[in-house]
Amino acid sequence: MNHFALTIVGRDRPGIVSQVTEILFNQGCNLADSSCSILGGQFAMILILGHPEFTCRESFGDAFKPLEDADLSVALRVLKPGGEIRPHIEGELCMISVYGSDKPGIVYRVAKVLGDNKVNITDLNTKLVGSEERPVYVLVLEATLPEGIEEDEVNTWLAPVRDELQVDISVRTIPTVEL
Amino acid sequence: MAIRCIRTYPDPILKQLAESVDKIDDSVVAVIQDLVDTMVNSGHSVGVAAPQIGVLRRVVVVDVSKSKLGKDCNHGLLEMVNPAIIEKAGSRTMREGCMSVPDYTGNVTRAEHIVVEFNDRTGQLRVIETSGFEAVAIQHELDHLDGLLFLDRVSSLKTDLYRRKAK
Repeated sequence: MNHFALTIVGRDRPGIVSQVTEILFNQGCNLADSSCSILGGQFAMILILGHPEFTCRESFGDAFKPLEDADLSVALRVLKPGGEIRPHIEGELCMISVYGSDKPGIVYRVAKVLGDNKVNITDLNTKLVGSEERPVYVLVLEATLPEGIEEDEVNTWLAPVRDELQVDISVRTIPTVEL
Repeated sequence: MAIRCIRTYPDPILKQLAESVDKIDDSVVAVIQDLVDTMVNSGHSVGVAAPQIGVLRRVVVVDVSKSKLGKDCNHGLLEMVNPAIIEKAGSRTMREGCMSVPDYTGNVTRAEHIVVEFNDRTGQLRVIETSGFEAVAIQHELDHLDGLLFLDRVSSLKTDLYRRKAK
């Protein structure tokens, strides 16, 4: 089985998911991981899919043409063998919320601190909320902390960003339990 | 007294409603003992519900006293027949895994404090108040009696569900 990463973006309307998945189903693709969401006025789909025979972009022929005709952007990436397998990431799970009045650099400054400290961000969502006069920026991310690092340390790392950008930051670890 | 095999999804029994126990007879005591034996045998389990061993009756056992998260606040081994949560307060999120849904974990938000009533193996009605990990474990096991898995409780975050490392 060869694997591909497919991304599709276009103005949101009902029927995009069914149009895309019908094509993939008819082509004999298997959907593995996927994440699809409305972002602004756009609907964005990211799909990891497998196919028993297809090996490259050309294998799909003009299967995606109806999507392009419907004004959707389509991009296909051919994965190297094993590229579809999620690696196991050791370390404690952590949710971080950052919010405050909108200003440039919130995501970058937070991500830089985390990246420099070897924190692996596994999910990140941002949203601009509040009113037009008083826009509020909200960032929620999930990350895996390096071995031996705890909540307090992450708070210490982020304290300068909190003070400088005047945002609120909360860090909470999520224990993993088997029941 | 026996270590029983843990049923795993998609075994249909895990999605069925368990029946109340009318009378605590030898068969109920045997189920309790099998649950305890199965829990202890697994080494890391902190609770097992009867449907997980293929018995559709409202019986669960919980013991978080040996786990790191539960050792400071627990009631030891709890053997619960016809358990019911009568009060709930607060909320907390944990990433739950379940022996009946191997290899996956997901973020689940449950009540932080609960009051639960149940009959113990002698038939005595007991009411306990608990919080933290023990409260989460009890809520997770009680869900099994209603045919609910943690997958039914996962909130809507995109990456709530992870495949756990293969053992």
